[in-house]
Amino acid sequence: MTAMFWRSPKACLIAGAGAAGIVLPLLPVANLYVLTVLILMLIFIIYASAWNLLTYSGQGSLGHAAFFGLGGYASSLIAIQSGLSPYITIFAGAAFSAFIGLLIGLTCVRLREWFLAMVTFGFAIIIQTVIVSMLSPVTGGWDGYAVPKLIASDIPYHLLWEYYSIFIIAILSLLAIHLILKSHIGLALAAIRENELEARAAGIDPVRFKLLAFTASAYIAGIAGALEIHHFGYITPEIFGVELSFWPVIYSITGGLGTLAGPVVGTIVVSLLWDGLNAAGLTYERYIIIGVLLILIIIYLPRGLVSLAERYGKTEGGGRNPR
Amino acid sequence: MDIGILIQVVFWGLYAGCIYILLATGLNLIFGVMKIVNFAHGEFLMLGAYITFIFVALTGFNPYVLLFATMPVLIVTGIIVERLCFRPILGTGKLNEIFVSLGLIYIFQNVVALIWTDEWRIIPSPFVDVTVSLGSLEMPLDYLIIIFLTIAILSGLYVFLRKTHLGKAIRATSQNRKGAMLMGINVERMDMISFGIGTGLAAGAGTLWAVSGQVFNPYIGSIPAIKAFAIVILGGLGSIPGAIIGGLLYGIVENMATFTLGGAWKDAISFVLLIIVLIFRPTGLFGEEGE
Repeated sequence: MTAMFWRSPKACLIAGAGAAGIVLPLLPVANLYVLTVLILMLIFIIYASAWNLLTYSGQGSLGHAAFFGLGGYASSLIAIQSGLSPYITIFAGAAFSAFIGLLIGLTCVRLREWFLAMVTFGFAIIIQTVIVSMLSPVTGGWDGYAVPKLIASDIPYHLLWEYYSIFIIAILSLLAIHLILKSHIGLALAAIRENELEARAAGIDPVRFKLLAFTASAYIAGIAGALEIHHFGYITPEIFGVELSFWPVIYSITGGLGTLAGPVVGTIVVSLLWDGLNAAGLTYERYIIIGVLLILIIIYLPRGLVSLAERYGKTEGGGRNPR
Repeated sequence: MDIGILIQVVFWGLYAGCIYILLATGLNLIFGVMKIVNFAHGEFLMLGAYITFIFVALTGFNPYVLLFATMPVLIVTGIIVERLCFRPILGTGKLNEIFVSLGLIYIFQNVVALIWTDEWRIIPSPFVDVTVSLGSLEMPLDYLIIIFLTIAILSGLYVFLRKTHLGKAIRATSQNRKGAMLMGINVERMDMISFGIGTGLAAGAGTLWAVSGQVFNPYIGSIPAIKAFAIVILGGLGSIPGAIIGGLLYGIVENMATFTLGGAWKDAISFVLLIIVLIFRPTGLFGEEGE
């Protein structure tokens, strides 16, 4: 079994990607700018994968920034109050995000597509409003507040250490998602996605599993959000912005919905494109290019960039049955 | 609360409701025929405001008159968007529409930002300082014209859908797509036409909104569109009377909430309302159980 696994092209790709992730920041091209780009890429890989986990259960969200942001606020407030290291508080912050995710999930599990999209979108706006109005004595309103950095910037090579720590967290998150999907939970989620009525007939409780997917997704998104703000060292309510809700959607669609590799590939390709276009000075054009790309992919490549690899890799036995 | 202020707030709500009604009616018409939801509907509102802005700058005519030049431009835009972006994904899953709309939002906002920059713009109304007083109620003339124009546009739409051959074909497609097809109606043409009309209504909303003294930039479209969609959900998907009643209620509730809770809640209150409704009725107030 393991010998077979290591010979398959998929395993080679995974190993190659892992090796590239370890070696890349050590190369001479990796200056502070490149390192920052890589760190953000890792954070968004975690975030997009969290969003993608939700689509396994046939749900979608246009307001995942709610969980991204809550993870950030909760983690930073805990870190400031208790003086604990951000490496501990991100998990506590994410737990808070997951708790809110559970509550939001309770209202969402009965809703379908458009309603779900609207309600999740709405929750992000409601949470942002609560943070800037009622909670502004704690959160500083629109101005935000400074938060402890992951690794203090006076430590030599702090960005490099930060990169590797986030790299490990990203690997662990992907592994956790992989294990969830391999287990009977993943099967149940797929059954619900394909046909909720039949799944119920087979003895699967859709509400329980959808809630589980929602909570797990919120937890991982919370980790990503907490990592981002502890990386920047500052948090503002902008973190709940519409754009931050849309990014994981764009990344996952580009890469391929409902695959583990999709959000990873999508995040890398789109954010490289994004930063490349930015460097070329195309401030507005890049949004247009991303928008056109998104529509082209939905129409002509509905299973994302990953399906390209599968299409050509089929003869080597790496292909999977199309949905 | 003083009764005079209450009436004033209701009147503002009525005016805001008109904008929402035009948007929601368009969304509902499109949903009725195509069974899709265009989340980028607000971008047509924004584009409508800009097209009118350009026409005003070029001709110097009264913006209310130019409304009827802007709407055809947007109808054509809508038809092109339907043909290029929505027809290929019809029937491929509801999440895809949402994703295509996301792409459209990015494209429209930034094409407009490229052409006209993202500065705040304004269309000066010729009646900016004119108000009509009715007892303690102060009514800006612009608001009255907007309420009147909305009624006129909606009446026109009603006559079109009820009396003309094309309107009847659209309604037939909306009621039963297969049946309409069997009766020799070109349903894909109906898709294009109803999408175009919906877009035109959004352009009307955008123009009226801008002329009533609201400043606009390329990013203003999303929030009104989301609110319009919330109204559509409240009023029931595909029900145009539902959209009209929902839009009026919504405009009034929103203005009341802003007045009592403070401006920060202006956008959020709509979602609170929406979520409360959906908790008790997951398919909307007047939605069908089976949807």
